[in-house]
Amino acid sequence: MRIAHLILTALALLTTPVMSRAQYIVTDTIIPERIVVKSSQFGITLLNNLDTYLSNYNHEGLGLNYGYEVFRDARTGDYRWKYQTLFNATVGYATQGGNIQLTGLISQNWGGYHPFRVAKGLTLLAGAQIQLEGGALYNPSNGNNPAAAKLRTALAASGMAIYHFPFRRSEWIARYQVDIPLIGMMFAPEFGQSYYEIFGLGHANNIVAFTHPGNNPSWRHTLSLDIPIKTKRHSTTLRISYIADLYQSRINDINCHIYRHTFSIGFARTIFKVKTNNKLNAYSPY
Amino acid sequence: MPKNILTYLMTLLLLTSCIGEEEFENSSNGNFEALWQLVDERYCFFAQAEQEYGLDWYSIYEKYKPMADSCSDERALFDLLGDMLKELRDGHVNLSSKYGTSYYWDWRLQQPLNFSDSIQRNYLGTDFKWSNGIKYNILPDSIGYIYVESFSNSFATGNLALMLYTLKECKALILDIRNNGGGMITSAEELASSFINKKIHYGYMQHKTGKGHYDLSTPEPLYLEPSNGVRWLRPVVVLTNRSVYSAANHFVMIMRGLPNATIVGDNTGGGSGLPLNSTLPNGWKVRLSACPTLDLEYNHTEFGIAPDVKVDITSNDWNKGRDTIIETAKDLIFEHYNKKEGKEQ
Repeated sequence: MRIAHLILTALALLTTPVMSRAQYIVTDTIIPERIVVKSSQFGITLLNNLDTYLSNYNHEGLGLNYGYEVFRDARTGDYRWKYQTLFNATVGYATQGGNIQLTGLISQNWGGYHPFRVAKGLTLLAGAQIQLEGGALYNPSNGNNPAAAKLRTALAASGMAIYHFPFRRSEWIARYQVDIPLIGMMFAPEFGQSYYEIFGLGHANNIVAFTHPGNNPSWRHTLSLDIPIKTKRHSTTLRISYIADLYQSRINDINCHIYRHTFSIGFARTIFKVKTNNKLNAYSPY
Repeated sequence: MPKNILTYLMTLLLLTSCIGEEEFENSSNGNFEALWQLVDERYCFFAQAEQEYGLDWYSIYEKYKPMADSCSDERALFDLLGDMLKELRDGHVNLSSKYGTSYYWDWRLQQPLNFSDSIQRNYLGTDFKWSNGIKYNILPDSIGYIYVESFSNSFATGNLALMLYTLKECKALILDIRNNGGGMITSAEELASSFINKKIHYGYMQHKTGKGHYDLSTPEPLYLEPSNGVRWLRPVVVLTNRSVYSAANHFVMIMRGLPNATIVGDNTGGGSGLPLNSTLPNGWKVRLSACPTLDLEYNHTEFGIAPDVKVDITSNDWNKGRDTIIETAKDLIFEHYNKKEGKEQ
């Protein structure tokens, strides 16, 4: 009974629109070991970039975004922990007064959360995240400083609110997530240091800076809505998201902000992993 | 405890303020202010300019601001801002827009030319070889002549090796870089690496560490590894004039420290600061010196490098189609071998 109760709780927390169906399964024959929600989304990004290593002025433009998320129960701990991995890639094209700037950024985040059920249908999750991001802003018309490379890692505080609500005879899920990097390190050339010195001559002292909210006040907000759609397996939702990724740094007198407002759409698929002969070797058909 | 958490979160929110840069409006005055401040914060040779000709960047502001305030025409603003940049007397400081590019040319235009391609033709002939922008031939008396007019191309090691292999029977080289306005430092270093046989230390490089005029990093040593291709260790005479600038100036800085190299001709034009780019509110592009290069004695070479043997093309020779500088180089080579033969006897 305890296991069944936990599974039901997990199902309620996760972004599945087929709660009643899963519940039926649990009480019937198949007991899922873990529940995994995978989502892929494509989006359009509004870009606003500033990097004073390249130019003192904002470059504004558009980008394409791809996001992939895996949200799952912990394998241990009686499902008291949830894990999230987030992959995000952005390519963009921005301009300032006719000058072009290309953007390419890839990030991977790993998070762990503890859920708190605070009200019917509403769960809060609090946890931490390890963030890793790399890429570059590239101004083709700049001679010896054409690019500002971005490479950073950080430990971030992260929280979520997941709200399940009935709408048109099915259950919709709204989710809000905020990630705030607290401490980390990043590649940071000195004020007027050329990449020729760093990479051509190997003058690479002091190119790593420790980051904290004072010099790297950034955060990322994600708002998503999962809308159940009828599929053969009834375990897929249409996910519509808005992501405000507001990255900022002020290191070595170089000011940088990369504001990305992404509107994306995709699908989230819920997978019930079941245990057979004590091995996770089968996926539930649901 | 909850109060502490709330305080922390509030502090975090306050810290998470927008990071931007001082905005200047896209107007005559705004673009003037933006350019003046950009140079004020990023230009690396204020100390040298103050010492060399008494530049006062703040008085430049006072001089040009009233003109910028009353400037209503975009073209006139471009000319005005270009004139302001020329006060730095640095060929690496330019403003580019649809109206062209502002250059400070005085470092070469007010100096003797000391080069004529018509006269050069009398030496190079018409049967010269041409590889990667480098022209070369063998002069009488078994002297190789190489003319490198730019470092804008990337020299493949194989091409340089083939060129030097072709000249292998020559007893010495005249390496003419007159009128070479620069290009890529890496190309200059690649060519110079053909004239050394072991790793050498030839200078230092710095960069700006902050917005103050004198905020510069500790000089870091510059090293050069020998080429993997052919290494020329016989005498080489490098010919220079005032139009040798930037990466070509860098090349001379390396070569003048080599025991088998002699610099002949006029002072180089200088340009020892690696330039970086930025923009103005109206999108005009700005380039300015940001990373100074120093020689082994920590001297700046921004205003040029003096040759070992100073010689100009005389007007008499010019009229006769004779290159005094090439002739001096040949004499030095003969003198070198005469001395050597004298010692051997």
